[in-house]
Amino acid sequence: MKRATRLGRNAGAALLAYAFALGRAAAADDHAAHSLPPAPPPRFEAPAAGSYQLPAIDRVGQHQLLGTSGAAEPLIALKDGELALISFVYLQCGEACPLSTAMLHRLDGELAKDPALARRVELVTVSFDPQRDTPQQMRALREKLAPKGRWRFLTAANESALRPVLADFGQDAVWIPGEANAPDALRHVLKVFVVDANGAVRQIYSTGFLDTRLVLADLRTLLTPAT
Amino acid sequence: MASVQRALLLIALALGVAHSASADETCQSPYLPKLVGQEDFIYVWTLGVEGLGDGSDKLVTVGANPARSDYGEVVHSLSVPGRNEAHHAGFTDDRRYLWAGGLDTSVIFVFDVASDPAKPKLVRTIKDFPAKTGWVGPHTFYPIPGRMLITGLSNASDKSGHTGYAEYNNDGTLVRTVPMPPGAEYGYDLRINAHLNRMLSSSFTGHANYMRKLPELMGDAEAMKKFGNTMVVWDFHARRPLQTLAVPGAPLEIRWALEPEHEYAFTSTALTSLLWGVFRKSDGSFEAVEIGTIGDPKTLPLPVDISLSRDDKTLFVDTFNDGTVRVFDVSNPRAAKQIYEHKIGSQVNMVSQSWDGKRLYFTSSLLANWDGTGHPDEQFLKAFTWDGAKLTPTFAIDFTAEKLGRPHHMHFGQLGFWGIPTGADDVAAK
Repeated sequence: MKRATRLGRNAGAALLAYAFALGRAAAADDHAAHSLPPAPPPRFEAPAAGSYQLPAIDRVGQHQLLGTSGAAEPLIALKDGELALISFVYLQCGEACPLSTAMLHRLDGELAKDPALARRVELVTVSFDPQRDTPQQMRALREKLAPKGRWRFLTAANESALRPVLADFGQDAVWIPGEANAPDALRHVLKVFVVDANGAVRQIYSTGFLDTRLVLADLRTLLTPAT
Repeated sequence: MASVQRALLLIALALGVAHSASADETCQSPYLPKLVGQEDFIYVWTLGVEGLGDGSDKLVTVGANPARSDYGEVVHSLSVPGRNEAHHAGFTDDRRYLWAGGLDTSVIFVFDVASDPAKPKLVRTIKDFPAKTGWVGPHTFYPIPGRMLITGLSNASDKSGHTGYAEYNNDGTLVRTVPMPPGAEYGYDLRINAHLNRMLSSSFTGHANYMRKLPELMGDAEAMKKFGNTMVVWDFHARRPLQTLAVPGAPLEIRWALEPEHEYAFTSTALTSLLWGVFRKSDGSFEAVEIGTIGDPKTLPLPVDISLSRDDKTLFVDTFNDGTVRVFDVSNPRAAKQIYEHKIGSQVNMVSQSWDGKRLYFTSSLLANWDGTGHPDEQFLKAFTWDGAKLTPTFAIDFTAEKLGRPHHMHFGQLGFWGIPTGADDVAAK
């Protein structure tokens, strides 16, 4: 039974591995010498905030998930004039998820330098894998990351509770059976969504644009009233 | 070697799968997960031919895995209403849906290729592309996160080549339109280099020209002046045109080099039979430079599709009128050197290669009114292996004998990508 294989690694080990991968992703991004070949630095300057448009791409609804205490929490918890960056991850992911979490971690640090902006932005990390990524595991991840600003960590009660969330966001996720005794892997396209208080999706990042300079330019573009 | 590993890593990250060698794949959007290993199917967007079979455009699935019993055979054929001048297609960013357009009717068909990869299903038809965007002739379908960029070849008002591109979300809702800039109004392809935050677009001609019979068009001197002569460099993130490059003679398909440190792209010009490189300069601006000649331009070979190997060293260039593929060594990107040529058939248009560059596929149709002009109107998909020095045929399907039509754009599908065992001949039964 493949599901048993998926659950093969215990949760504590998964978190440790995720934290390790997170460190690798951060190091690779910082171009430090490391076992992973470093990604080359982007060769562009971010466009000036407010110099371009970010029309609504889509609209998502409200969903109830579980916070790190195990209590129900809304996925979108924003006031008018605020934005959320929503990222889907799972703790057994070895590469893509740590990359997006590392970007959010850097963004959390950058936002801390601009308190007025930070007050209007919330980071939200949602697990793809409710069976293994329990509220306790998500809390442990939060403690590991020690956010400076608004950053919530959510999971779902079960897969059937998660499925409509993924469908609403158009976030694909397919479990690929592992060969032999290898655990199954979740194949998904890495996406980070910028959503406003009305559920309008204003930006979607993938690996090519997980760049804090672009994200900050987009947040400022969206939060600065047009003159 | 380290740079190849780095490129593989970046692709693996995009995939969400680590340490996988990935599989035309070399010419796709950087936002599209690449196939890993052997492709099982080729989806062939095919123009209908009046009086042949049901006469309709169709998406044909061909078996491409030698380990399966359907290798080299037509696995499935799904017809859509009418003849729309079926042309290009492209996957959404999750590879779950294939969007395919008709250059004449401007209808866009969206196929689900994930639920049963052998048997795509039509799940959405977008009929209001001209009304919503102002453009006609949806050409390139290029995925970005959660969205699809679609170039128009023409416009709904005067059917000239003045056009722009549209951005749809994956549910088929229009997000915005962006016109081509003044002085570079023609459109064709667009391609993004995420590392540079730059997009390149190219230019062809309008509906009033591409829907005419080729001999008639070529005999009309005024009409022949109405082809694109420009490429545009864009700030992709801001969707802002930065620079217009003079590239005379209708620059068509664009291929960015894949290695991150290779800050250039290739294109070919249909009317002048030249290869061009578009190079980033030290000040961050770009220059377009002729880098080679394709066949004898005086005979108008008509370069069409091009395909670049994943190591940026080998460029396959199809020429329609002589049915030939020419292979260029572009390891020095400013001096393309032809190293091989092979006649594929009486005419050839599209070429797609696997990620490892070992398998290449060719189809024959360009446009319904241009096919078979001055040469026999063979219609085929032909598969080859490439060993670095020569092509060796593996299988071929005669699309006329099979009563399918005119095969055009090809895209790869794979069962394993969806967690389905490769040996699963009947996916639905699983």
